[in-house]
Parts: sequence; structure tokens; C-alpha cells
Amino acid sequence: MSFNIIGKKIPKKDAPFKVTGQALYIDDVELPGMLYGKILYSKYPHARILHIDTSKAEKLPGVKAVITAKDFPPHFRIGFMKDNPPLKGTKVLSTRDEIAAVCAISPEIAEEALDLISVEYEVLQGIFDPLVAMREDAPILHEEVGSNILKLPWRLVCGDVEKAKKESAYVVEDTFTTQWVTHCCLATSGCVAYFDVNNNLTMYSNTQIPSLAQNEFLEALTALGLRNRRVRIIQVTIGGGFGSKLDTYPYEYIAILLALKTRKPVKIVFSRDEEFFATSPRQCTITKISQGCDRDGRLTFREVEMILDNGAYTSWGATTPSVMMMPISSLYRVPNVKYTATCVYTNNTYCQAMRGYGNPQATFAIESSLDHLAEESGIDPYDLRIINANEPGEITPQGFRVTTCGLKECIEEVAKRLNWKEKRGRGLKKRGVGIASLIHVGGGARVYKSDGCGTIIKMDDFGKVDVFTGASDIGQGADTVIAQIVAEELGVPVEDVNVIHNDTDICPWDVGVHASRTTFVAGNSALFAAKKIKKKLLEILSKLLEVPPEDVAIKNGIAFSKSDPQKSIPLARALRRIHFTTGGSMLMAEHFYDPQNENLNKEFRGNLSAAYAYGTHGVEVEVDTETGKVKILKYVAAHDVGRAINPLLLEGQIYGGVLQGIGYALSEKMIYDNGYLKNGNFLDYKILTVRDVPPVEIVIIETNEEAGPFGAKGIGEPGLVPTAPAIANAIYDAVGVRIRDLPITPEKVLKALKEKNKG
Amino acid sequence: MKRFDYHVPQSIEEALNLFKSLGDAIYIAGGTDVMVNIKRKKISPKNLISLRNITALKVIEKGKELKIGSCVTHEQLLKDKYIEKYYTALHDAVRKLGSKQIRNVATIGGNICNAAPSADTACPLLVFDTKVLIRNEKGERKIPLHDFFLGPYSVSKDEGEIVTGFEITFLPPYSGSAYIKHSRREAMDLAIVSVATRLTLSPEVDIDFLKREAGEKTYSEFESRLLSYGITVKEARIAMGVVAPRPLRAKEAEDYLCGKRLTDEAIREASEIASSVAKPRDTLRGEAWYRREMVKVLTRRAILLSAKRAFD
Repeated sequence: MSFNIIGKKIPKKDAPFKVTGQALYIDDVELPGMLYGKILYSKYPHARILHIDTSKAEKLPGVKAVITAKDFPPHFRIGFMKDNPPLKGTKVLSTRDEIAAVCAISPEIAEEALDLISVEYEVLQGIFDPLVAMREDAPILHEEVGSNILKLPWRLVCGDVEKAKKESAYVVEDTFTTQWVTHCCLATSGCVAYFDVNNNLTMYSNTQIPSLAQNEFLEALTALGLRNRRVRIIQVTIGGGFGSKLDTYPYEYIAILLALKTRKPVKIVFSRDEEFFATSPRQCTITKISQGCDRDGRLTFREVEMILDNGAYTSWGATTPSVMMMPISSLYRVPNVKYTATCVYTNNTYCQAMRGYGNPQATFAIESSLDHLAEESGIDPYDLRIINANEPGEITPQGFRVTTCGLKECIEEVAKRLNWKEKRGRGLKKRGVGIASLIHVGGGARVYKSDGCGTIIKMDDFGKVDVFTGASDIGQGADTVIAQIVAEELGVPVEDVNVIHNDTDICPWDVGVHASRTTFVAGNSALFAAKKIKKKLLEILSKLLEVPPEDVAIKNGIAFSKSDPQKSIPLARALRRIHFTTGGSMLMAEHFYDPQNENLNKEFRGNLSAAYAYGTHGVEVEVDTETGKVKILKYVAAHDVGRAINPLLLEGQIYGGVLQGIGYALSEKMIYDNGYLKNGNFLDYKILTVRDVPPVEIVIIETNEEAGPFGAKGIGEPGLVPTAPAIANAIYDAVGVRIRDLPITPEKVLKALKEKNKG
Repeated sequence: MKRFDYHVPQSIEEALNLFKSLGDAIYIAGGTDVMVNIKRKKISPKNLISLRNITALKVIEKGKELKIGSCVTHEQLLKDKYIEKYYTALHDAVRKLGSKQIRNVATIGGNICNAAPSADTACPLLVFDTKVLIRNEKGERKIPLHDFFLGPYSVSKDEGEIVTGFEITFLPPYSGSAYIKHSRREAMDLAIVSVATRLTLSPEVDIDFLKREAGEKTYSEFESRLLSYGITVKEARIAMGVVAPRPLRAKEAEDYLCGKRLTDEAIREASEIASSVAKPRDTLRGEAWYRREMVKVLTRRAILLSAKRAFD
């Protein structure tokens, strides 16, 4: 199949706007009479609030409203488990707990007013370790729940792990731990809320879930006594999401209440400090894993027990085990699987979705442990992976129906480019190689009741196309990819397709940007809408050209007869002809696409995604054995993407993922000390800089997924999933130490080397 | 952030007078530390006196001594071929300082007067026996850089005094220097620990041969040969960053090395001594044991690199 636009390296449509400063971010939104909101956070990680005095703040000139928990309905809670009051009135459970908020005519006055609010606390003993919180004698943080262990019993059992363990020729067991890392979006979180005279709410927002946020804000309005109102979400240019904007946060409800109180637009935009400590990071994990294989290296079982620090409240972080199950049950063929995960309340920050949604944590354990098993069984880690690689047509223990699968090709390609056979196991010059693979959802993921996305499409008198999509563009390039898909289908230039994706008043429903689903789901939705409008178009053109519809082709905005190319008409003229005539018509179409995937059932089984993405990363490192520093000499990332709609954006996703993954593996960590974040700034939070970028080679494997738009599968998240274990495995190959705790800092490597030399 | 007035004097005298008349004021050069401190509410001066328009402070003078004006930017230093060739440790330091955007505005005077224990230019200037030139109403005074640092973010300078520059004596032939910054990132980072060394050697062997070796061989190949020639160390300087409240000279290690033949053993011993002189702390940015360990490694590497460069 040959394409005109699909597969072309087309630059992002929004790039010129961002580069020239024309893009409008949340901080740029200014409305007449707008006020500025600021939030007072708790001084302590765990305390009773005895008294709040806001009187001085209220008297400060320029202050328009001060609110506390008393201003919200008493039982109003937000979040996945409805355990989080937007303002805390009686008890604080973390240092990011919101106690009061003000709005004023300037941000400086609002800031000053915060200093005038006095809060009397009774400090309570904090719990900062989930293992301590799980003890029977530990104080209960959420009295209404009655336990520090969340009522979320994640448990997947397939086959008979105990039996398989006994029958295995080789068994390994390890414990791995991972750290909190944060998204580091370039644009910080924020919103502007305002009510019209009818008490309908408009929210300027950088959310990545406009439809779900709309629903949640409607619930909030109802709780505030405003029934049957409208909520309109207008998304500004979103300066990065990575999962951080997958939930609604207290600051949004605070802005809503302040706007309602003052009848003015209220803006709350986080400072970089707030972005670090008051948004929700990737959850840290403690993972005990055991795997076994038979004499030939065939995997026999995989058993994983995990403990997650949930933090003080519950956001989507608590549901990441639902995704962790995917690699645990289905990365490589493993017949017997057991997985349990426990989420535990502590007085730490609460966690949220972040690119990969638990998959990086699980894959770090699986792929590190697999190298251990390779050593134990004396099988080359490459061979062990090839022996067990997933294949097309397979149904995994969890019930995933694998359609396309290029895992073997990915592993082979990476090994070839790394020169695996030559380099592995030599430990020459303290250099080593490592590989690790991944599985991820590539055809949406049915985590909500619907995994759908709607598209409305219309053509104007000038042959131009407007596409109204439910998809959100958070920088990943959804607008560009959707424009390409529609342009390809309709035979118009890609510049002629305008994608509108930022307003719930005009765009159809979509479940949100998550699960690497936008190209697959929104892409398919746009494709089917384009097919519908094309059908109408071809009928019209057939009449105008006086040929049968199947003889009509459109290329570059011009329709012509395939059998007699002399017969042609520009689309714009055709569209005007049918418009400006008695009983005229204009072309419009819509489609709601919901993929054929399944919610997990009570046993956590089901075909979660309509397609699965695979990939393998390989890395060559050099370890400085005197300092413990790890240098990446070469990095190869091979991904089965189905089809590359736009290789330029695709490579961008993988580069970005790899770099975020290297930061996760080697340097990034949010350092919490007794509930206080100690490194909430870019100096001490070690996200990589452009100078730290190693050479990255990208290999695109196309398997042409039948269910995907033009054969594409999702690629948003996979780029960072296997990075940490690939690096950890390479370090082991280089110097013989295995670091089981992320990030792999020079200190940890050096300490391990010293211990190894002692022994 | 509190409001402040901003003054831009055109000469040192004008600046000194302004300070006297304004009272509540501080000097600002590149502003990469001052502005951060104001925004973080660590300081809240009513007046900022910018030194950026005083051209006399922006010159690198190569006369009898090397004189670097206090408002010379790090980018200016980085591009200076003379500094790269003869004062290589300083070149090493500015190469990894901040980012290009920061180097374009941040000045060497600011870096020294801010007196962070991790200040990148401090250790190189220490190993070059640098003197600080200070102006006040009465005239100019000159003190060794070593005595200028009092503690973290504290220097021996009265309020209102202006550091005008740094005076560095010319180095004898067969001198080489190096600065190694051990950090987690390649840019935009502070050192976990850093070491600068300067050696002046007195080779008693065929110089031309050594030079050829230095030019042709890679560092590691040259290293083993270098140490077998029995070169005598005439003068040694070792300075360490982030191992004490202020940038620190390892005088005991310098004394040990002085007059010794440059051998692997001697270098290792000097590095051990330097490490024992270091008094690092456990902080967010690094643990004490690791810092002490790194002083050893970096000192040895910096000495070797300095020795090699002595023949470049």
C-alpha cells in the first residue's frame, strides 16, 4: 500500500506557534476583572488543625475572598476513592495538604495574604514508610476507611505457581525498589475558573481529560448546590502532561469556589515549587519477584508481590497495578503467574499516573530478574528472551489476545546493532551490554466504561477540512497525526486539515490522553469520520464528473476520473456547486469510535487492549569503577509500532521516552525526609540536560496492525518502559554488580563494587 | 519579591559613592545568584547597584601578571585561548559551569564573592596563588584569595567595597593544571566534590622526547610512561571544593609532593593526604564518605592531568 501523507516526516503543526511564542499557555490567559488565587499548604505532614484565623488576611486591601474547608460542603471529597477534601478542615495528612486559599487583585497581594493566615496545629506522629503503616499498631490515617491498607485488593492468579516452582529447573528471587519521580512539565499546572450570570462554569485548563474533568466539575457544582448547570472546559496549549493532568486536583475546586464567591474569573497557576511538591509523582514500589524456567530456558512461572506507597490520598497512582499486571502476566510467554499488590496510606505525597502507568516499575523487576535467571541457568540473556518471546496469535494467561507482535524482531535487531555476541560477557574496559523488552497497550485500554473518542468533520466552500476531535494534544502531536490521517483518506493536502481539540462545547467526548491511545483511538475515530464524509463526497463528485463513484479519485485536493483523468474538478469548486444551489447541502460527518477491547473482570482478566505494542532496548555502558559513574556509550531502542504515521513525531516520542527513562534509571529521585520534599527544584532534582544525552539509535519495526489506523499502534509511553532494566543489566555485564534500587547513583555502584571486592 | 531600585553607575568611583549615599544597597554583576536570592526572599535590598557598565572591570589584562576583571563573564574566560593554554584549570572550570546562558551573564567576581563551597572558579584560582583586588574609598587593597574566603557565602570584604579583579602571577615553564568537577549532570549542576591541581615540574630528562610523547600518545598511554621518568615536582598546589565550609587548599598534600619524584606511589599518597584533610559533610547533594573517596580519585587524576599538561 502506498501513501501520500502517512509515513512522511511532517513537522508538528503547533511547532511554529510554540517557537515564536504565539501559543497561549495557561499563564497567558487574562480575563477582564480576573483575580489571582493562592493556596496555603500545611506546615506539617500529620497534624490536627485546632484553629484557623483568616481575619487578618481578609482585611488586607486587594484581597477579595479567603476560603477554608468550612466553605465547601462538609462531605465533599475528590479523587478515585473519594478520600480527598479540596481543603482540609480538621486534619492534615501531608505537607501538600491545602488548608486555606485566597484570591486578590494581584498574585503578590494574594501571596502576602497567605502569610497573614494563622493556623494552630496539634502535631501528630507521621508515618512515612508503607511497611510501618501496615503494622497493626500503626495509627490509622483515614479513620473513615478504618485501615491504612486501601480496599483495593489487586490479585491476579493464573495457573499453579506453587506447582510450577517445584518443577522448575532454575528459580531466582529478588527484591527491587523504585523511587518517586515527577513529570517535570515545562508549563506548570493551572486553571482559570469563571461563572456566567446563569452560574454556568467555564474552566480554562491544561487538563488531559477534558470530558472526565467536565463530569467531575459538574458533580462539584451539584455539591455546591448548583444543579443542572453547564461546564465548559477550554484547553489552552498544554506544556506537557505525561499523566500529571489525568486527574482533577484540589486547586481546581479551590479556583471554582473562589470564582463562585467573587463572581470573577479566578486564576491559579502553580509556581515551580508547587509543581514539584503539590502535584502527584510516579509511585514508588517495593517488589518481590520470583521467576523460574526449565532446563531449556522456557519460563515456568512468575510470582510478584508488590507494596505501593499510596501517600495521603488516592489518585490514579493506586490503580497502576492494573497495568503492572500486563508485563507481569504477558511479557514473554509464562504459563503460571501470581501477582498481588497492596496500596498503603502514608503521610507522604500521593501518587498519580505517569507515562507508562506502573509498567516501568514492573518491567524493572521482571527484566532485571530475567537476567538473574539467565545467569542462574547458564543461558545467554539474549537466548533466554528469544526462547520466550511472545508471538502473534497468542493468548496470554491474563487473556490478552495478541494480534501483531514484533518482539522477536525487536530483540534480534537490538542485539545485532549492539554487537551482542562480541561484546556481552567480556567485561572489557569495564564496558558491558544489556537488553530489556516491553509490552504495553497499543490499541487503547479499557480502564473506563468507555474507551471511545468522537470526531465531527466538516468541509467548507474552499475545500478545507475542519476536524473536531475529542482528543487532547498535550505536546505529543495528536493534531498533526489526526490531520495526516484525515488528509490521507480524503486526498487533500495536510495543511488543508484544521484540527480543533480544545473545547468541550464543540468537541465530542473522549476518555482522555492516557494508555498511549490517542493515535489508535482518536486516529481511528477521525479515519472513520473521514471515510463517511468521503463516501458522501464521492457520490457528489460522481454526479459532477458523470462517472461511477468507484471511478472517482481525489489527490492533492483535486477530484478526477481514474479511467479518464481529463475529467477533473477541484474539490473547492465541487463543494461550492452543491452548496450554492436550490436545496443545497454542505458536507459534514461524525463518528464515535470505541475499540473492541474489554474491561478487566473481577479476576483481572480480559483483553484490555485491541492491540499490544512491543519493544526492546539495548545499551552499552562504561562504568568508572573508581567513581561509580555510569556512562552510556550506545543506546538502541527498537519498537513495534504497527505503522509509523509520522516517523518524525514517532522518533521524538522514543527519544523523549528514552531520556526520561535514563533519568529514572540513573539520576532522578524526589527526596522526601519525614514527609518534606527536600529537592523540589531543578538544581537538586536531577532531570537530564541536553549535555547528558547519549547517542540514541531508533529502530522502527512495522507489523501493520489490522485494527489500527493505517496499521498503527500506540507509542506514547513505551519509550521509557524498559530503559532502567536495560541499563541495570548492562552495568551487571560490565562490572558484575546488580543494583536493585533506583536510581542507580554512582554512590550505589561504588558501594556495591567495594562490597564485591571484599567478598 | 520586594521592590527595589536599580542603579547603573559608569565608574568604580561613582559606584562607591552611590553605595555610600544609598545605604541599603548591594552590588550586582551578572545577577545569577543575587536575583535568585531576592526571589527566594533570602535578601531584600532596597537598592541594587549594577557593575555591568563599568568597562574597567570587564578586561582580561596580560601584562606582567594576568589580571582578570571582576565583571569578566565565564563565557569570556571560556573563549580566551591564553587562559586555555596557560591556566587550563580555570578553563576546565568555566567549561562545565552552568549553561551557556548562565556563562553569558555570570561573572568571575560574582562567583568568588558569592563564595559557595562549590564555586567552580574558586579552586582553580586558589592553585594559581591568586590575589583579590579590592577597592574602597581610600584606595586599593590586595589580599590572597585563600584569606578572602571566610566561610560559606562569606568573604573578607567590607560593605561597600568592590572587588575589581584578580591578580595571578605568571607560571614558570613546565607548569600544568587541571580542575575536575564531579557532578551528576554534564551541565546546570553543582559539584558533588571538585579538585583543582597545579604542578610545576623540573624535568631532568629529554624534554623534546617527553613533549613528543605528550603530543602523540593518549592520556592513559602517556600516564604510565610519565611516571617512570622520575620527574621532580618543584611546586604543587591542590585545592578542593565542597569538602569544607570554604574552598580548601590541601597544604599538607602539597608539601608532601614538593621535591618528590612524580611516581604513582607519590601521587597516591598525596591523594590520601588530601582526602584526610577534607572535612566533607553528609548533605542532600552527596554523602561524606563518597566525597572523601572522590577527593582521593579526583586528586590523583588531576595531578596526572596537570603533569601531562606541563608538557603540552
